[in-house]
Amino acid sequence: MPEPSASYQVSNFNRQIVRDLGGVVLIAILSLGAGLVMNRLSPSPLPIVYQTPERRFDVELTSLVAAAPFKIAPAATVGLAEFRSAAETKGTLILDARPSVFFDQGHVPGAYNLARDNFAQDYRHLSTVLKAAGDQPIIVYCSGGECHDSRLVGNALLTLGFANVRIFTGGWEAWSAAKLPVSTGDVR
Amino acid sequence: MIRGGRSHRDYDVLAVALALGAVFIYAGADKIRNPLQFADSIAAFAILPTMFIDPLALGLPTFEVACGLLLVAPRTRRFGALALALSSALFFLALVSALLRGLTLDCGCFGIGTPSRPRMWLELGLDAILFGGSLFVYLRSLGATKAAGAEPFI
Repeated sequence: MPEPSASYQVSNFNRQIVRDLGGVVLIAILSLGAGLVMNRLSPSPLPIVYQTPERRFDVELTSLVAAAPFKIAPAATVGLAEFRSAAETKGTLILDARPSVFFDQGHVPGAYNLARDNFAQDYRHLSTVLKAAGDQPIIVYCSGGECHDSRLVGNALLTLGFANVRIFTGGWEAWSAAKLPVSTGDVR
Repeated sequence: MIRGGRSHRDYDVLAVALALGAVFIYAGADKIRNPLQFADSIAAFAILPTMFIDPLALGLPTFEVACGLLLVAPRTRRFGALALALSSALFFLALVSALLRGLTLDCGCFGIGTPSRPRMWLELGLDAILFGGSLFVYLRSLGATKAAGAEPFI
């Protein structure tokens, strides 16, 4: 039997490689399908479009302040006298949960703006202050009256591991009605 | 030297194929357990557009496991070997690109770890070895298939 020519062998080899590459493509397609199915069945599936860790944290933080304000017990509140005393000493971190536009118009001196409607971004912005606060008491206020922003922010902080969080239910309404000192500007 | 229908070199191929198979099955299974961390590792390379990161994080681990399993059976070995040679070459190029751009990252190749330049160099070397091993198995399996006249499985 005659030996196949060199050109025939090369062409046969090329055909083989092309066929093998086709096999690899098939394996890749099947693997992707299997991966997607497994992800679909997973209790915590990945979204199809990747989210950065920062974006995932933002979503998590935003979901925390979107929850109903039911977790804070009535005991975790302070009255005006206690709030005033805390605001005048340096040992308590005061947080204003109102939107920044109201904070800029006037806020309790020394307070930081951790707005409920911009919680994720403000939380990251204040991360150094919050980290430095450690176990320090935190008091959150908002407009007062039926305002729930302070409760939502306080609840989110408790969920994030801050143990000593209380709410000043009188809020900005009670503070300004008492003609107490006011700071303005966007110091946040 | 032929003994019982197999030469020493056949056993060499079998040994390399099984070792490669074990490495890739382990690597793939570990990534299947932690798809989110693997997606973060892929993103850290800053090579792929965002829309391809999660599909790759979901498909690549199963691909590695499948190729590892294909290496075990003689009839499917060369497909697994070729696939792993190609993917090792891609991993190698991605790591070289990251090193040249001065990135310090955890490639997520063999489990999740802390980002480290020395580890990147180590994984680069490992990728080169895996590429060499896969190519060796592929070329030898190609020759063996031709010699035996067996039709490939796919």
